Amino acid sequence: MSRNIKVLAIDDEADFCYFVKKNLMQSGMFDVVIATNGAEGIKMAEMEKPDIILLDLFMPDMPGEDVAAALEENPSTAKIPILYVTALATNEDVVEGKEDKIGNNYILPKPVRTKKLIETIVKILGEKSS
Amino acid sequence: MTSPIPRKKTIFLVRLMVIITSAYFIIFSPSAGRGLEFYAYIFIAFYLMTNLVVAYIPEKYFFDDKIFYGFILCDSILLPAGIYVSGYVGSELYLMFFFIISLTTMSSSFVYLVMNTIFFSFIYCWLLYKRDLLTGPMAGSYLIQIPFIDIIALFYGYLITTRLKDKDERINEVRERYEQIVQATDVLMCIVDQEGKFLFANQKLVKFYGFKDEKSLLDLTISQVYNEDEIEAEKSLSHVKSVYENDAMVQYEFYDKNHNIWFANTLSPIRDPSSHDVFAVCIISKDITDRIEREKNLNDTVEMLRKTRDQLIQKDKMAALGRLASGIAHEMRNPLEIINMGMDYLENNLPENDPGMSESIERIFNAINRAENIIKNILSFARQSVGEITQIAICPLLDNVLTLAQQTIQKNGVSVQRDYENELLEVAGDYNMMQQVFFNLVNNAVDSMRDDKDKRLTIRAYKQLVTEVGYKTGYRRADYFSMGDEMVVVEISDTGKGIPEEVLPKIFEPFFTTKAKNEGTGLGLSIAHMIMDRLYGTIDVESRVNQGTTFFVKLQPKSKLIKIKEM
Repeated sequence: MSRNIKVLAIDDEADFCYFVKKNLMQSGMFDVVIATNGAEGIKMAEMEKPDIILLDLFMPDMPGEDVAAALEENPSTAKIPILYVTALATNEDVVEGKEDKIGNNYILPKPVRTKKLIETIVKILGEKSS
Repeated sequence: MTSPIPRKKTIFLVRLMVIITSAYFIIFSPSAGRGLEFYAYIFIAFYLMTNLVVAYIPEKYFFDDKIFYGFILCDSILLPAGIYVSGYVGSELYLMFFFIISLTTMSSSFVYLVMNTIFFSFIYCWLLYKRDLLTGPMAGSYLIQIPFIDIIALFYGYLITTRLKDKDERINEVRERYEQIVQATDVLMCIVDQEGKFLFANQKLVKFYGFKDEKSLLDLTISQVYNEDEIEAEKSLSHVKSVYENDAMVQYEFYDKNHNIWFANTLSPIRDPSSHDVFAVCIISKDITDRIEREKNLNDTVEMLRKTRDQLIQKDKMAALGRLASGIAHEMRNPLEIINMGMDYLENNLPENDPGMSESIERIFNAINRAENIIKNILSFARQSVGEITQIAICPLLDNVLTLAQQTIQKNGVSVQRDYENELLEVAGDYNMMQQVFFNLVNNAVDSMRDDKDKRLTIRAYKQLVTEVGYKTGYRRADYFSMGDEMVVVEISDTGKGIPEEVLPKIFEPFFTTKAKNEGTGLGLSIAHMIMDRLYGTIDVESRVNQGTTFFVKLQPKSKLIKIKEM
C-alpha cells in the first residue's frame, strides 16, 4: 500500500477516540485524526481531507446526521464516505448486521471490536474505489 | 278481642246475692233452730269474707287460672256444704246439687249447660217426689229451691264455659295465626326430634321434597328426606344433636345436590313450656342459591379484575421499560465500546506467551458479550413497528419454529408431537414476531424438561369460540376477543417441572427468570407477552408442579386492524 488510510473519528466520547486512534495506528494501516464534537469534526474534515470519516450519531452539540449533511453540502468533503459508529441503533436489522446503511452512509453498531472496524473500513473503501 | 267473661264486679254482686239468698234459706229453713245456727253464721261470715277478697283482689290475679278456679271450687263445695249445714233437705240432694254444678261446668257450650241443668232439675224433682216431699204443706218451699239451684249452676257453668271457650278461641286464633305464618313463609320449616325424625313440616317443605302431605313425612329422618349419603347424614345429625346438647342455635350452609340449591339452615331449640328442656329442634332452610351465585360471580369478577390489574401494572412496567430501553442501550454501549477498544489495545500490547493474561482477556470479552446480549434483549422492547399483520398459515410457521429449535430438541432427547386440527389454519399476525414468540415458548418448554425422564413436547393448533370472559376477552370494546368470536389457539405443552403457583404471576415480568445467571435474561416471556399484545392476541398459562406447563397462545383468525399496535 502506497500510503496509510487517513481516518477522521468524530465522537464526543474522548476515550473512544483515544482507543480508536491507538488501535488503528497500531495496525500500521491508518493515520487517525480525532474530533470530539460535530463542529470541530466538520472543520477537521475540510482541513485534513480524510479517506473515511467515523461519525457518532448522538453528540451533545449536533446530531451525527446534521454533521453528515453539512459534510455533503461542502463540495470538498462531499465525496468522503461516512461510517456511523454508533450506540444509538434502535433498528434491529442494523444491530443484527442484516442492514449496514442509513441512506447513503454506512453504519456499524457499537460495541464493535477493532478487527471488525478495520474490516468494515477496508470493505467500504474497496466498494468506493471499484 | 273483647272479653265475654263477666267482670269481677258482676261476679262479686252475683256471689253477694247467692250468699244473701243462702243466708235466708239457712236462717229460715224448716230445720232452723236445731242448734246448728252457730255453724250457719260462721259459714255465712266466711262466705262474705271470700267475697271481700273478690272485691279487693287485683283483676290480673283474680283472672289467673289458679285463683279463678280456686273460687269456683270453693263455691261449688261451700254452697252445698252450707245448705247441708242448714239441714234444709236430705244430704243426697246436696250431693246432687254438687253434681249439677260439677257436671254443668264440664259442658263445653252453653246449650249443653242449659240441657244439663234442665236434666238434673228433673232428677232433683224425681228425688223429691220419691221422698214424698212434693206433697204436703212444705212442697212449695222445696220446689222454690229448683230455680234457685238452677240459677247458681247456670251462673257458674256460664262462667267456666265462656272462659274455656274464650281461652280455646284465643288459643285457636294464635295457633291459626302461627300456622298461617309458618305456611306462608318462603322458607322450608320443620321440627325434628333428637334422632332427626320429622315431627312437623310446613307445606313448602312437603312440596319441595315431593311428598303428598305432611303425614307421609313424619316417620322419616331429615337425611332420608334430603337424600344424603352417610357422611352428609352424620353431619346433619351432628348439627341437630349439638342444638340438643348446647341448647343453642346452630347455623350452617348446605348444598342440596339433588336440587342444585344452596340452603342456609338455622337450627333452634324448642323447649318444653313447663320443664324448659329442649325436646325438639326447629330447622329453617332458606334458599340462598342466588346469593351464593352472586358471591361466586363477584369473586370471579374480583379475581378477573385483580388479574387484569396485575397485567395492566405489568404492561405499564413494560411500556416504561420500553421507553428506558433505548436510553439504557445507548448509555451502556458507549462504555462497553470503550472497554472493547481498550481491551483490544491491551491484547495487542501484551507480552507474548502469557497464558494467564490471554485467559483473563478472554473472560473479559465474554462478559462484554453478555452485557451486549442483555442490551439487545432490552432493545426488543423498544422496537418500533416493524412488520405488518397479514394472513399467515400457522402450521408451517410452527413447523419452522420446530426446525429452528431442532438442535436443542434433539440434544435434550425431547419427543415432539404435533396435533393440528387443520393444516390450513390461518391467523392474522406478523411472521417474525410470531416466530419469536413460539421459538421462545418451545425453548422454555425444552429447558423445563431438562431433568425429567419423560420428555414430551406437544404442539396443538385449533379453532375455538370465545365463551368465557378473561384477560382482554369479553364484552368491552377494548377487548381483543368478543364473546362468540372465533380465535385460533396454539397450545404448547411440556411434561416438565412446572411452575410453582407463587411464581406464576411473575413469569411475564421483565427480568424474571428461574434459569441460571448466564442462561437467561428473563426477557423471553415478557417479550412474547408484549408481542402478543401488539398482535391483538393473548397468552395464558396453566401449570402443575412436576406435571408440566401449557401455554395457550390465542390469535386473531382474521386481521381486525392492519396496523400493528403501537407500544
